[in-house]
Amino acid sequence: MLDKGDYRKLGFKCGLEVHQRLATQTKLFCGCDAQLPNDVSVAEVERRQRAVAGELGSIDQSAAFETSKDRKFVYNAFAKTTCLVELDEEPPHALNREALDIAMQIVASLRARAPDELEVMRKEVVDGSDTSGFQRTMLVGYDGSIETAGRRIGIPTVFLEEESAGIEYNDSGVAVYNLDRLGVPLMEIDTNPDLETPEEAKAAAAALGLMLRLTGRVQRGIGSIRQDVNVSIREGARVEIKGFQDLDTMDTVIANEVERQLRLVEIRNELAKRKAKVHAAHADVTSVFGETKARIVAKSIMGDGIVMAARLEGFVGVLGREVNAGRRLGSEISDYAKFAGLGGIIHSDEDLPGYGFSEREIGTLRNLLGLGPSDAFIMVTGERGACARAIDAACARAAQALEGVPKETRGVDQKTLVTTFLRPLPGGERMYPETDVRPMAIDAGMLELAKSKAVDAESVSRRLRKAIGNRQLEEQMLWSQHLGRFLEIVEKTGADGSVVAATLLEKVTQLRRSGVNVGAIGDDAMLKVFAEYGKSSIAKAAIEEILKREPKNGADVERIIKSERLERLKGRELELAIKEAGDGGEREDRLRRIMSKHRLNIDGDELRAMLK
Amino acid sequence: MYSDELEKLFARRGITPGDRVKVAVNGMTFEGILMPRPEFGDNGTLVLKLPNGYNVGMHLGKRPRLEKINGKRAKFEFPKAKLERKEGLPDVTIIATGGTIGAKVDYETGGVHWLLDPEELLYTVPELKGIANYRVVNLMSIGSEDMMYRDWQEIAKTAAKELSRSRGVVITTGTDTMHYTSAALSFMLRGINGPVVITGSQRSSDRGSSDAFMNLACAARIAANANVAEVGVCMHATSSDTSCNFIRGTKVRKMHTTRRDAFRPIDSPTIANVTREGEITYTDEQRVRIKDDGRELHMLKGYEPRVALLKFYPNADPEIIDHYLEKKYRGLIIEGTGMGHVAVSPHDAKYSWLSHIKRAVDSGMIVGITSQTINGRVNPNVYTNGRLILGAGAIYCEDMLPEVALVKLGVLLGNHRRQEAAQLLTRNIAGEISERSEVGLQL
Repeated sequence: MLDKGDYRKLGFKCGLEVHQRLATQTKLFCGCDAQLPNDVSVAEVERRQRAVAGELGSIDQSAAFETSKDRKFVYNAFAKTTCLVELDEEPPHALNREALDIAMQIVASLRARAPDELEVMRKEVVDGSDTSGFQRTMLVGYDGSIETAGRRIGIPTVFLEEESAGIEYNDSGVAVYNLDRLGVPLMEIDTNPDLETPEEAKAAAAALGLMLRLTGRVQRGIGSIRQDVNVSIREGARVEIKGFQDLDTMDTVIANEVERQLRLVEIRNELAKRKAKVHAAHADVTSVFGETKARIVAKSIMGDGIVMAARLEGFVGVLGREVNAGRRLGSEISDYAKFAGLGGIIHSDEDLPGYGFSEREIGTLRNLLGLGPSDAFIMVTGERGACARAIDAACARAAQALEGVPKETRGVDQKTLVTTFLRPLPGGERMYPETDVRPMAIDAGMLELAKSKAVDAESVSRRLRKAIGNRQLEEQMLWSQHLGRFLEIVEKTGADGSVVAATLLEKVTQLRRSGVNVGAIGDDAMLKVFAEYGKSSIAKAAIEEILKREPKNGADVERIIKSERLERLKGRELELAIKEAGDGGEREDRLRRIMSKHRLNIDGDELRAMLK
Repeated sequence: MYSDELEKLFARRGITPGDRVKVAVNGMTFEGILMPRPEFGDNGTLVLKLPNGYNVGMHLGKRPRLEKINGKRAKFEFPKAKLERKEGLPDVTIIATGGTIGAKVDYETGGVHWLLDPEELLYTVPELKGIANYRVVNLMSIGSEDMMYRDWQEIAKTAAKELSRSRGVVITTGTDTMHYTSAALSFMLRGINGPVVITGSQRSSDRGSSDAFMNLACAARIAANANVAEVGVCMHATSSDTSCNFIRGTKVRKMHTTRRDAFRPIDSPTIANVTREGEITYTDEQRVRIKDDGRELHMLKGYEPRVALLKFYPNADPEIIDHYLEKKYRGLIIEGTGMGHVAVSPHDAKYSWLSHIKRAVDSGMIVGITSQTINGRVNPNVYTNGRLILGAGAIYCEDMLPEVALVKLGVLLGNHRRQEAAQLLTRNIAGEISERSEVGLQL
């Protein structure tokens, strides 16, 4: 394992982009439900998209790449969560004030500053994940920071934007998206690219996640928060890693990416020494394989496919070099061919007889391509057009090996925790103003309100420690959806924090499982229950008895206490109860006798103390 | 424009929007491009484009720190594709007149500018390649609402001229008044000998999802391949990018403010449907006019602009008719209710339209009656109201759309004597009136 000093020597650069969905009633630019209920699909539309000239005239590289695939996009529209805005059939409505309010709370929590006026922008996207071909986004904060593991991490920019559509199905010809998610308010928080180690990146992601959750106004559950990591080393290149499903493995994935970049730099140096070259020209070599026993190729040719191959001068042995455990330079090149729509490549560093190729076929192919002993080849098979695109893409990737590490967006292989190619890294030049939405002024009042609601993860942790005093419960509460409610109850009622925490975290769940409609219990009722408990009007055991009856408000709670005779026995009443039980037998027997009769009205600890 | 204060500051520092500048705000320094002020919002807020592409608005405060820095000014150069002739392909002329379809965003202002260069167009819509050999005529670049009858005449004249050399003509135009334009061309172009296809877009072509690309390609297909001699509108058939409808120019109407499939055939089937891949199916072969009336293609040159379209509504004051009469209007199309009614015996007799219509007709004005239900035929014989209005001299315009009736009346009065125009108003000239009200057409 590398340490901090090693990473510094490598010129390790790392920054985070955290994306978090907000828990607003409606979407960012329309009145559709933003809570993503299980909605009914009501319509399906089919669209095409293309790269259009970007802001400075040139077409964005990743945009052009998507268009070259000539893909069809199918969108499922839903009853409550989609309208004509998501279908790109109506201009956006006004900006959602609730979303802006939460965004400002987050900006304040990051001690960032807000612009005086928000300008909504269109950021071009052409993977089809947005029906309009762009994502609406705006810069809402700058110059912030967050505390993590003793270091203050800079937050240069905070954005409020539209969530993209969720992908349902994807192949080389068509992508199917669900529009229910499209347009849900999404925050993007970027850190400075100066995270010092993979571990620090993980800690920063955790700190941001906690802060967001503590606002109590962000969506929870799978996919509602996503972390992208930008990583490079001095001699490598910026790679954006997307699709972390688990914060726990983030550091491992980053470390593996650093390893990959290191290996690619070594490969570059080796190829330079050999004066290696990639020849753009490639040949149709189908005739070589007329009788082949290699099943992949035979099957493809039977289905009217062809075989194309290209010469990689000086590459012998290099294609088979590992870049990560189980992945070789050949795998990297293969990913590009896959992206262009084929199954992958076959290359000369592989076990070719294992595929079923004969010595003679390989010899003929090498002759045909004019290969010398230090040269390698790559080969693709499939439909003619796809072959041409795939071999072009593969050659382009092979040529990048001469330069080192290509700039890419990469995904995470969840099993092996290494990164794999998704698409080229989008360049700049792809933003322009959203002219359908007016600029919006941020006034002092809005900022003051946001500051008053700012959350501070450190202080919340302190409050939990003070109120609960049990590490496990504190930790559970910190990550719980009940946190906001807990803090309010403890503050307003003075009830014992550990009892409140145990009730919210454990009792309520038990009640739900036993069929109680806990959703019907009002916030007001919950406050009243703990207020009664806090001033010793009811015993601990009575809390569950009251909640079982689903009180809607404080008056319900009072009624239930009366009708169920749940008042706590104190003073003379308690003494009377003890007397009634007689003083025969051991202390424990007496205790049991009394409790079996007055379980709901006497606090066990208090009784125990009195029986001493 | 920015506030006077800011404009003065820019002048003092020699700064104009588009320049790279350095600004200090709240103790932080920003570098970026000074953007022109958006139309909306506080003009005292400066808008800066940051290096990450985002625009932000900031207040400079009392002692502004703003300076120009060296660096390239942002400049927008649109990529172009070469126009090449390919033997064996039909000739199609594209006449550009403006509208969203020809619009591109000016990235400095965020405003919409016109895409006029044919090579830019071909770059933006590569699907056009392989369908036809194109000539592009940049006739005008005006928005829907600014279109006047003289522009229709100009377009008709150009289309007539181009039809003598090209197999078909595509006209790109704004969608909001597209159905007026299509009606005007339908009446102005007589003896038409090829497809005149009007198209546009509901989403500007600077966005990847624009409907412009398929609309234009489908329009080119109709112009190049369809066996029709009609003026029609070619726009998305559904919300999907799968096919376009080609709808007769006198039976089409924009029925939605924003949807791609806003243009619907009214009381009439579409002429044809053309898929994204170029397959054309005719809805009703019988209905398609291969060649008009055997006469040579010619253009009706005149147009009477003193015609008006008037909508009746409860409480509508009929004195408005007198106003048009005073202004020497020669024709009036009334959008009546239901089968073509206006008030004739309200409690307050002042609001009866009857005497006003009669006076207008007696003074020589042609008054036509259509219906605000849009679909269906007017009929004066069912209710007393209708009979009285007919008696006052108004002409019931069958199943003609109100906007079509207006344009038709303008053309008729511009080229015929009053008596003749009145007679022709209810005679079918360009498919605007159908004798039968067909069963099974969608509303």
